[in-house]
Amino acid sequence: MKWKKIGRIFDPTQYQLPNNCEQFAQSPQTLIFDDFIRIYFSTRSVDESNGKYLSHIAFVDMNKNLRDVIRVSDKTVIPLGKLGCFDEHGIFPMNIMRHGDVIYGYTCGWNRRVSVSVDTSIGLAISRDDGLTFERIGDGPVLGASLYEPCLVGDGFVRVIDGLFHMWYIFGTGWKKYSPELPPDRTYKIGHATSRDGIHWEKEEARQIISDRLGDDESQALPTVIEIDGQYHMFFCYRESFDFRKSKGRGYAIGHAWSDDLVNWVREDNNPQLEGTPGEWDSEMQCYPHVFECEGKVYLLYNGNEFGRYGFGLAELEV
Amino acid sequence: MFQQIISWSKDMFRWKKSGKVFTPQEVEGRSWLKEFAQAPATLIFDDFVRIYFSCRPPADENGQYVSYSAYVDLERGDLFKIREVSEKPILSLGGLGEFDEFGTYPVSVIRNGDEVRAYYAGWTRCESVPFNVGIGMATSHDGGKTFSKLGNGPIVGYSPDEPFVLSGPKVRRFGDRWYLWYIAGRKWIMADGRAEPVYKIRMAISDDGIQWSKVHQDLIESRIEEDEAQASPDVFYANGKYHMFFCYRYSSHYRSKENGYRIGYASSSNLIDWERDDSKAGIDVSEDGWDAEMISYPHVFELDGKTYLAYLGNQVGRHGFGLAVLDGELK
Repeated sequence: MKWKKIGRIFDPTQYQLPNNCEQFAQSPQTLIFDDFIRIYFSTRSVDESNGKYLSHIAFVDMNKNLRDVIRVSDKTVIPLGKLGCFDEHGIFPMNIMRHGDVIYGYTCGWNRRVSVSVDTSIGLAISRDDGLTFERIGDGPVLGASLYEPCLVGDGFVRVIDGLFHMWYIFGTGWKKYSPELPPDRTYKIGHATSRDGIHWEKEEARQIISDRLGDDESQALPTVIEIDGQYHMFFCYRESFDFRKSKGRGYAIGHAWSDDLVNWVREDNNPQLEGTPGEWDSEMQCYPHVFECEGKVYLLYNGNEFGRYGFGLAELEV
Repeated sequence: MFQQIISWSKDMFRWKKSGKVFTPQEVEGRSWLKEFAQAPATLIFDDFVRIYFSCRPPADENGQYVSYSAYVDLERGDLFKIREVSEKPILSLGGLGEFDEFGTYPVSVIRNGDEVRAYYAGWTRCESVPFNVGIGMATSHDGGKTFSKLGNGPIVGYSPDEPFVLSGPKVRRFGDRWYLWYIAGRKWIMADGRAEPVYKIRMAISDDGIQWSKVHQDLIESRIEEDEAQASPDVFYANGKYHMFFCYRYSSHYRSKENGYRIGYASSSNLIDWERDDSKAGIDVSEDGWDAEMISYPHVFELDGKTYLAYLGNQVGRHGFGLAVLDGELK
């Protein structure tokens, strides 16, 4: 399998965004309509109280050619969580899934901590207006820290397969100070949970389903799963847990694994391999992948340099 | 000023106060135990009674506390005689970024065969609100002197209807089932520029004490105001029904006598449906002394034919806990 790169298809700096957001269109996630594709993403505003970022969900509607922008959302898709809630300081990402007449949005909610920068949990919000707005099923999460997954549960990706809800997500294995002068960094791995109703989940509690390529200090994020010719393929991104923001070769790259049974996954990053293009928007970093099928083709949306500050791009699978 | 007037019913319980039994300021040689002895919980041995409590070293330069849990052993024949105080905290604080990094408080203990289990609340610090709390579990194989955690994360997690501040666990076993009463945060309100949590009493049920199913409902209706905070749900079985003593307070200005904690009471025949009747509780603040401003964190236990109530006094146990003895029976 091979990726044919199409290039960047959305640059958030060229549009007016809701919630006073500027820059960043991270973790694109699709909802397919008859005649257009809605792509949700996380963008950022600045918290006036302290200058820190707040992540908000917005979307862009594109023609099915995935080139022409129809419109960008101009209203709040989902407000941030209330005081003290798991999603008070941001939602990034939100995974979208049609379910019956409604649309489920699995949010990764962010809340700031004192000894470490942040913790996350996964919430569920439901849209009854074709995905224009979402309402939480409650103030708390559907999936969060548990006995052997002590922190940073997030990045849920949900699909119903043979009547069972599957969620691939990430869980933190811990925080570590790699350098006395720098704040602690986290490590996370990809896990799996199942559910009968999409609300009550049973985790495989701390089973890391994708093997490490970089060793224990590899962080894995944003799993996305698709079935191609009877085989399941997962794409995700991975990086070193420390010094990953600016150092060349330590930042995010796209990983891949396949499975015949949704239990055992074989990691095979180079089939297909997605490479950055020197001098281009994705030269240093490729992250936050999302695979989807549209009119018989399999596509990959992903972010490039600076974690998606300048938007997302597209690749098409050639089998 | 609003007064928490209770009209005592004629069939109220009659608790006779025995006085303060433990004062943390009197303990020497433990840097982690300077003040507070909160949330007493008993484990009864042949010749002594171990009472677990939670305590704190002095606040740090930012006025922030961490809290530890420890125990004091009292002579079974005379609960006012202290035999020993634990040399070390019974539980370590959690690691960086874990739910119990800044406190393991309070604990509830229970025997399970040869082991002793502790269910405890773990505290972390947040940016927009002062803290969050989750419930963890640890086991002891030395009779309850030291405990090791089952995992680095919580055993009861947040859910859509219980978004934060899961605290104050109290574990019991009735028949072959495990029950956990706890409090769940409902909302944070801002009072005088400070975020204050509102929490309600809830419960979960388990076959093994590890996998818990929440009941997902408030057990005790709010009485003094909608945002009444309820804590320390302490359940005791006697005379064919379940008795719950708990404490409650107003949502704001609760560090004062007027709005501070008082002890409430409810009863149930099935552990799920509770009828609140604070007029039966039978214990209130004293005219003066260590428990004149507030009383809180009740814990009922039976010992050698008597029913005792351990509880906290002023400043939520900053200066220790005391005992009351029931005149009559719980019925």
